[in-house]
Amino acid sequence: MLELRKVSKRFLGIAAVDNVSFRARAGEVTGYLGPNGSGKSTTMKMITGLIETTSGEILFDGERIQRNLIAYKQRMGYVPEEPHLYAHLSGLEYLVMVGQLRALAAKHTAERIDRLLMLFALHGDQHAPISAYSKGMRQKVLLIAALLHNPDLLLLDEPFSGLDVGTGLVLRSLIQELAARGKVVLFSSHELETVERVCSHVVILHRGKVVADDSIESLRTLMALPTLESIFSQLAVQQDTAAISREIADLIQA
Amino acid sequence: MMTKLFNDDHPPVSDDRKTTQFRVLYRQFLFRMVDLELLSASARGDISKLLGQFAALLLFLSSWLGLAILGFWDSEMPREAFIINAWGMEHLLISTMMLVVGLFAILSWDSTVPDRRDVLVLALLPVRARTLFLAKVAAVATSLGLTVAAFNAFTGFTLPLALAPTSASLLQLILSPARYRLIAAYWITMISAGGFIFCSVLGVQGLAAQLLARSQFLRLSALLQMAAFCLFLSVYFLQPSLATPHALMAAQNQHLLAWLPSYWFLGLFQELSGFTHPAVVPLAWRALTGLAIVGLGTAVAYALSYFRTLRKIVEEPDIVAGSRRHHWLPPFGNSLETALVQFSVRTLLRSRQHRMMLAFYLGIGFAIVILFMRTPRAQQQLSAANAPLLFSSFVIMCAWVVGTRIVFSMPLALRANWIFRLTEVRSAPEYLAAIRRPLFVLAVAPVWAASAALFLSIWPWRMAAGHLVVLGLWGMILAYFCLLGFQKIPFTCSYLPGKSFLHMAFLAALGLLLLIGKGVDFELRALHDPVSYATMLVILGIAVVLVRWRTVALATSDEAFVQFEEAPPTEVFVLGLYRDGVLPIEPRSN
Repeated sequence: MLELRKVSKRFLGIAAVDNVSFRARAGEVTGYLGPNGSGKSTTMKMITGLIETTSGEILFDGERIQRNLIAYKQRMGYVPEEPHLYAHLSGLEYLVMVGQLRALAAKHTAERIDRLLMLFALHGDQHAPISAYSKGMRQKVLLIAALLHNPDLLLLDEPFSGLDVGTGLVLRSLIQELAARGKVVLFSSHELETVERVCSHVVILHRGKVVADDSIESLRTLMALPTLESIFSQLAVQQDTAAISREIADLIQA
Repeated sequence: MMTKLFNDDHPPVSDDRKTTQFRVLYRQFLFRMVDLELLSASARGDISKLLGQFAALLLFLSSWLGLAILGFWDSEMPREAFIINAWGMEHLLISTMMLVVGLFAILSWDSTVPDRRDVLVLALLPVRARTLFLAKVAAVATSLGLTVAAFNAFTGFTLPLALAPTSASLLQLILSPARYRLIAAYWITMISAGGFIFCSVLGVQGLAAQLLARSQFLRLSALLQMAAFCLFLSVYFLQPSLATPHALMAAQNQHLLAWLPSYWFLGLFQELSGFTHPAVVPLAWRALTGLAIVGLGTAVAYALSYFRTLRKIVEEPDIVAGSRRHHWLPPFGNSLETALVQFSVRTLLRSRQHRMMLAFYLGIGFAIVILFMRTPRAQQQLSAANAPLLFSSFVIMCAWVVGTRIVFSMPLALRANWIFRLTEVRSAPEYLAAIRRPLFVLAVAPVWAASAALFLSIWPWRMAAGHLVVLGLWGMILAYFCLLGFQKIPFTCSYLPGKSFLHMAFLAALGLLLLIGKGVDFELRALHDPVSYATMLVILGIAVVLVRWRTVALATSDEAFVQFEEAPPTEVFVLGLYRDGVLPIEPRSN
């Protein structure tokens, strides 16, 4: 289980994440939602260990991740929000390098990469430089790199970004399948419809603070709202969207 | 029905707005000659230190040459003889200027053609291609002008001062028109020579861009850049000294002079200064003709290719797919060492900027070697152990190892380095141990292997083997020394400008050359005396053990960590005092 206890992150005194606490259990997909700038990606980066917390602690299977970051990184897979990759390498070279850096057995990894490239329909482009890849192809490379070592914790930050419909559907099933096999999956996305279908539990963040942490079903009942979108709008958007859009249209025509 | 494209809400861009667009783009292009994304976060996007260092280097060179000119001045010599005697110095200045501008043109190679990022962003805005083109040309011309001005800041006044007729009083000195004519002649010549070289590079680039498909151009462009670099260095160091009336007029030299533009501009300077001599008249004409042809040709080729490239960038990919056989590399130790070496090899092979930087250091090494090999001592027997070849192998080893180590510090795609941080599943000392491997594979091994091939083919094998052992130990000492405190995975740590001390590096390089000189003399004797040779091996062996021990000790210390962000040294020492001994005193946020 992944657990955040009163985690905060301040940049130059400004709180990007403020006292965030929640749990993501094995066997379920936890959705992590919030509007732009609410602190989702910062939380993700703290969970990966890429940036340190200002206060609070992050635990995985009951142990603080900072206590043994190396062992933790061996069990974690991460798909970042933006597909920054070494563009001068080919997709295959990049994945082989990730396997080598993760100290995976070379032969076994090569076979796994080959199969994954095939399944993600990237096999034909494996020798092409990443600079020639489309956004969706880069996203597939990131997904394979995150899955290569069979992680126990999967952190997915906008994993559907740029993917075609077919791969998106495969990924949706895959996330559920991995959770069913006992993995901890934390899934951040703006696509509320997908979140509603994939996740059993959601944490909603607004201005760095948790404003909801429950199952989607409970939230629906509690707030007497029919969809996750309406719940999200009520909790995190807190603005008259129609009025704002009218104002924007007026402004550009003025 | 025809749609009215411009209406009251969307009028055409006015002249005022075009000027604003030009100003904004000019500033963008000018300050983007260096890729800001490679800089450390601590640099806050400020490249002034980096540009300042570059300018300081040119000013330093100019001041030394300026002092040399004043030292060369001889008031006792008759003026006519002195003017002809000064041709050698003038030629040195012109050819050095051309080398500096040539290197500048090579370093700014990518800045002169439109960039994919620019096109994809700016093509969507109502900015005319002509405005983009003019802003780019103006930015490049400004950089070139600043380079020329910095290099000639001192020599541009000391040379005319030395060449002008001696004045009886200060007033005469100030009012003498000959002096002003000399200053003007000097600057016109230097600007013309610089412009000629820069336009030549730009013209070749433009022609290639015009004739080839974009992907082919990008591939050829890398080769052209490297070829131009080698050409400039070779011409500078290998061109014969012909700066005398006799050599310039000799029939056997005319063919060579037709291919050496630095002598054409020497002729132009003489003509403009009023020191007309039959030897320089045809050279001056050749300079003017060459300048006109290159200037005109470049203007056409560059302008055409610029607009064509703008279109091609959108239509064609930058890089085409490779083939499987080009991707295989052998393992280089454990999986981490293999990953780092393969990553480094691929980066050096595929990143033009890094390759050029390494070529720059190798160029310095080869220049020293060429200068040394041209001495009469070096023309003697090469088939037996001799000082010039021993010296050359050590110098090339130094240039290659130091250059590679410096290139390792220059990042590539900083935003992609998260993968190294996320996959850090080993301890920091293991990483720091693995970091040594790329330097040995990419620097020490190639020089040693090339030296082995050379020496074993021309020297008796015992002599060659003896030197190769020494060279190997020397390479190890250098590599371990360069890695002292180096805690970065090659090409992954941000760059913080202003940390290199060029004057110290210059002095260190001089010291190293002296050390190598002394070491070569000792080795030459030792190769014929087993006792001396054994002593030398013991000394070098101890040095290897010591420097390795120190490098490993630093890499395994408690403070060892893999560095991804270059930070300036802390200016405030934190005392760690706590309020009431319990609560930390937090810094105030503004």
